Amino acid sequence: MKELLKNLSLAFGPSGCEDAVRELVYEEIKDYIDKDSATVDALGNLIVHMGGDGPKMMICAHMDEVGFMVTGIGENGSLKFGTVGGIDPISLGAKRVISESGVRGAISAKPIHLLTKEEREAGPKIKNMTIDIGADTREEAEELTFIGDYFTFDSGYEEYGNGYIKCKALDDRLGCAIMCQLIKDIKNGAIDLKYDTYFAFTTREEIGYSGAFSASARINPDYAIVIESKAVADIYGVEGSKKVSVLGDGVIISYADRGTIYDRTLISHIKRIADENEIKNQVNLYISGGNDSANIQKNACGARVSTLSCASRYIHSQSDVIHETDFFAAYEVVKKVLNENPPTKE
Amino acid sequence: MRDLLKKLMYTPSVSGREDRVREVIYNEIKDYCDEISTDAMGNLIARKIGNGKKIMFCAHMDEIGFFATYITGDGDIKVSPVGGINTLSASHQCVVSESGVRGVLVPNSSKDKPKCEDMYIDIGAKNKKQAEKIVKIGDFFVCEPKLEKLQNQRYIGRPFDDRVGCAIMIDAIKKVKSENDLYFVFSVQEEVGGRGAKPAAFAIAPDYGIAIDVTMVGEKGGPGEMDVKLGRGCAIKIKDSSVISSPELVKKMREIAMDGKIKYQDEILPAGGTDASPMQIAGRGAKVSVISIPTAHIHTSCEMIDMFDVKEAVKLTVALAEKL
Repeated sequence: MKELLKNLSLAFGPSGCEDAVRELVYEEIKDYIDKDSATVDALGNLIVHMGGDGPKMMICAHMDEVGFMVTGIGENGSLKFGTVGGIDPISLGAKRVISESGVRGAISAKPIHLLTKEEREAGPKIKNMTIDIGADTREEAEELTFIGDYFTFDSGYEEYGNGYIKCKALDDRLGCAIMCQLIKDIKNGAIDLKYDTYFAFTTREEIGYSGAFSASARINPDYAIVIESKAVADIYGVEGSKKVSVLGDGVIISYADRGTIYDRTLISHIKRIADENEIKNQVNLYISGGNDSANIQKNACGARVSTLSCASRYIHSQSDVIHETDFFAAYEVVKKVLNENPPTKE
Repeated sequence: MRDLLKKLMYTPSVSGREDRVREVIYNEIKDYCDEISTDAMGNLIARKIGNGKKIMFCAHMDEIGFFATYITGDGDIKVSPVGGINTLSASHQCVVSESGVRGVLVPNSSKDKPKCEDMYIDIGAKNKKQAEKIVKIGDFFVCEPKLEKLQNQRYIGRPFDDRVGCAIMIDAIKKVKSENDLYFVFSVQEEVGGRGAKPAAFAIAPDYGIAIDVTMVGEKGGPGEMDVKLGRGCAIKIKDSSVISSPELVKKMREIAMDGKIKYQDEILPAGGTDASPMQIAGRGAKVSVISIPTAHIHTSCEMIDMFDVKEAVKLTVALAEKL
């Protein structure tokens, strides 16, 4: 499963340009699904219907990652860009980037020797940054890229320390990897589905959840579980609630974030299953962020939603860091949930 | 009306945790409707079947409050706001949790308007262990409910927003006799952005959507440019920052109010929104407006209403249900 996580994370897929990731996912699962059970909708979501008896369940993870879009090409061949999704400019200076067609570059940054005191204190601004692709003139640059072209972080996949994983785009390829594995498990008979189960590999989460909007309108689920990574500040110098959650302490079963107040019946059901199976789990100690659940919950006639997340340090940078314990815990919980009868309604 | 209002106000239910107040409302109305159901998000949808126009009335059950997010070593409870909290007003107020744990909200800041993340709730626990026994992460707290009569027909208390709307709808459900196809939706999660009314409106697909909610007044520290006052009748919303009411519906509402000798005021609210907005844009859309109850000091621990306005709002709700 980690090999799959690696391959998916390294794939190119900023919001609105998820084709490569979707093809990789499809290649991975195509031998495990009926040919006509997979649909790609207008927004590029890959929806796989695995069947099963019971209420409709939508398992959801997004394929897209944060990235950059070229908005202008200078006379000197440098590229003006905008961010796709939320990226802190502080994490950008001098980072390696790569375009959809494989053009490599670095994001410009003035060396510290040349910064004025004011510039140092104000911090970097994206409007002052460019992507340097080694072109000296506009013409040279135009042979390699175009306005509207996408770039993403260009970083490798590494396992380090005691179970930590570092790569770009672990948000949310970890969810995609877990869903691929679950589809295989279902095919192999390792899960006895208690729901009419759909898997939605969604697009455009990082720019406002629009993929999940159309996917959930199509599925119209009774229940949904979103598998995500969650921004935490589990780092030196941050104490208590500001950490949000801790890497390695298990899957996060959220009760609320900025976009969604989760369904209490469903989250207590999931928490009970996790505890009974001795799968490590934790809550978020600070309310922040949002994800596809926000749109799934209130779409069409509404759904009972939950999110299971892996804590992620340095999220939305070239070095997303997660812990494998949380990754496997998220996988195990969803697997067990699909195997158990749905929660009894209040 | 006062007893019903008190019962609703004294059943704390923040956004996403509306089950208790829903139960109270269900018991009040179940003998007066043809159909009644709860949807996936928790909206309570009551129907009085008719052959005429499909009208959706909507008042929200949830109130603003706090989620417990973290328990400190000292046994204090860190919180995150649910909905638009006025931290100035909430400072040093008595609060109560969903399981009845009481405490005081400490601003823990020297600023005039403290930030919610600096605040904590002191529940009198000596340490974390003691606190953890009675408060769990994700439990909600609200400022203590209150309802008291002042001069004239004025009342202070909380949360009038929007239990007064719920009370008006309950009263109207009991009184109305109409040929129209009436849906009364007690919605969830309005205070966090009108999340509940949207799927309810999608499922119902009404011709007309009418929210019943509080609005500000142009006096008593409210926005001075607003021409709405306590005690001059319910208000008919023309516009706020989330919705531009259907001119056709507003015209009909005014005519029906005048025919029934119901006192009303025209309302343009400079900031804020209601469930009218999600109702307007859900599914294929609907003609919407709002019956507003002028309220001073909204989202504080001492919201103020005039019972005369509430009575006029009930009359207008019944008249619209019957005559639209």
